[in-house]
Amino acid sequence: MVSSRKETWLQILFAGCAALCILSVALICWFLFANGLPAIVKIGPLNFLGSAHWAPSQGHYGILAMIVGSICLGLGSALFGVPLGVLTAVYLAYYCPKKLYEPLKSAIDLLAGIPSVVFGFFGLVVLVGWMQKVFVGSSGKGILCASLLLAIMILPTIVSVSENALQKIDPSFYEASRALGAGHDHTVFFVCLPAAARGIGTAAILGISRAIGETMAVIMVAGNAAILPASILSPVRTLTTGIVLEMSYASGLHRQALIAMGAILFVLILIMNIGFFKARHRNG
Amino acid sequence: MKTSKTMLQKVGAAALTALMIGGCSQSNPASSSSASPISVLSREDGSGTRSAFSELFQLEKDGQDLTVPDAEITNSTAVMMATVTQNPNAIGYISLGSLNDTIKALAIDGVKPSVETVTDGTYSISRPFLIVEKEGAENELAADFKEYILSDQGQKIIADAGYVPIANSGSWSSDGVSGSLTVGGSSSVTPVMEKLAEDYQKQNDQAEISVLQTDSSTGASSTAEGVYDIGMLSRELKEEEKSQSLISTPIAQDGIVLIVSVDNPVDSLSKSQVQDIYTGAVTDWSELN
Repeated sequence: MVSSRKETWLQILFAGCAALCILSVALICWFLFANGLPAIVKIGPLNFLGSAHWAPSQGHYGILAMIVGSICLGLGSALFGVPLGVLTAVYLAYYCPKKLYEPLKSAIDLLAGIPSVVFGFFGLVVLVGWMQKVFVGSSGKGILCASLLLAIMILPTIVSVSENALQKIDPSFYEASRALGAGHDHTVFFVCLPAAARGIGTAAILGISRAIGETMAVIMVAGNAAILPASILSPVRTLTTGIVLEMSYASGLHRQALIAMGAILFVLILIMNIGFFKARHRNG
Repeated sequence: MKTSKTMLQKVGAAALTALMIGGCSQSNPASSSSASPISVLSREDGSGTRSAFSELFQLEKDGQDLTVPDAEITNSTAVMMATVTQNPNAIGYISLGSLNDTIKALAIDGVKPSVETVTDGTYSISRPFLIVEKEGAENELAADFKEYILSDQGQKIIADAGYVPIANSGSWSSDGVSGSLTVGGSSSVTPVMEKLAEDYQKQNDQAEISVLQTDSSTGASSTAEGVYDIGMLSRELKEEEKSQSLISTPIAQDGIVLIVSVDNPVDSLSKSQVQDIYTGAVTDWSELN
């Protein structure tokens, strides 16, 4: 009797914890949309989403440039981060000597623990300087610089999720391929890697989500001009940095517009995740 | 092993080609400009420093912001200074009190910015630091603290912090007024206000002053609502703020300084040249002479 009553209580406790999680998500949703939607309606959805003219003090609230900026940095960081991360995962899973594995793995995990403001400062002092030397005459800050920095920041996510996926493949795949006469490299790249494609896809999506949501590091190296980028050296402003730059000063409609930007960001990430889950279900 | 070798070669070749193509297309914008394009830095829309700067250089016309749209934006003086230190082509602006040796301050129309030139008015790029109080709020401690700020002692602390003292109402001595006081507002005024509060409390241990950093607009609105006893602003009161029965008292003048890297050969600009740079009429340092 006692133990079963205890179990009921524990069950309620756990259910409460789960409910709290969902409640906080629901509260954030409510906050974003209750405050953001009226602003979108007041500004006009077309003016808000379809215009790249952002000048709140003159009454222009077009966030297209920032949406494009967020997408650019998401894709840019994936362009550098995914190949690097996946190849690192392949090395860890199939090539790495046992002695090297532990130090390498902990070094990559350590990368995940570095606060983003430190990454930002590193980017501002080191990466931007390099960019200025490579592209003489440019300010160094912009899409390319921010993408490279974000690529480093999302590496730990991509490496650990991809490596997990590779480790989980049925060993018989590898053995069968070798038994058919394929070499180690061939097996790894043409049998194991495709078999882990779904996990690697997850890794890429998680990485891109993190890149799109990143703020502190991006704000220091992206240049933050609210314009549609003309080249990979153009400065960009993302949705996140756009919010942070002006939050402390904003009031009235301006503040509501910033919250609406948060809602758009939320929708952007949601679309990515839904698309990803759909693709995942179709494949298996 | 043979298969694997060719496979790796293919991957390598592909990577190299990608790098070369990427490299070529990327280096184009740089190689076409042998001169030195100006990298313009500004503050975020809504910042007190930006609005003072825009007003002083007439970068706003008929409600339109004329600042060049691809100007780099930052919301931090530290990032602005670090960027300018590194990039010999960059130009930005900061408050006179934040100036240090890592960057070069430009003379405007031949006048070097300094506490002296702002005081005598020859350096005209400056804005007031204000404190505001609600009309009719009888607060003995607030009155005493204000008297202290405007006294020789208070103004000396302001001058030591690199800002320009503007008042001189003689010396002040504590009459031991007790109580507590909340001061809040502009992030530009906060550092010097903290020093003032610290020194005041040393001389009057009956008083407790807390300084809160927000921004100029919050400083005005919260004082009107009675949340702050004293509000701090780094700009003049706006029309709608004046109507909220706030009394403002200037406590200091702050110069806004145009900064470039120490490697930049330019030492002086005219007011109209600064205007040309920030509106995008001039985009290269070589066009300035």
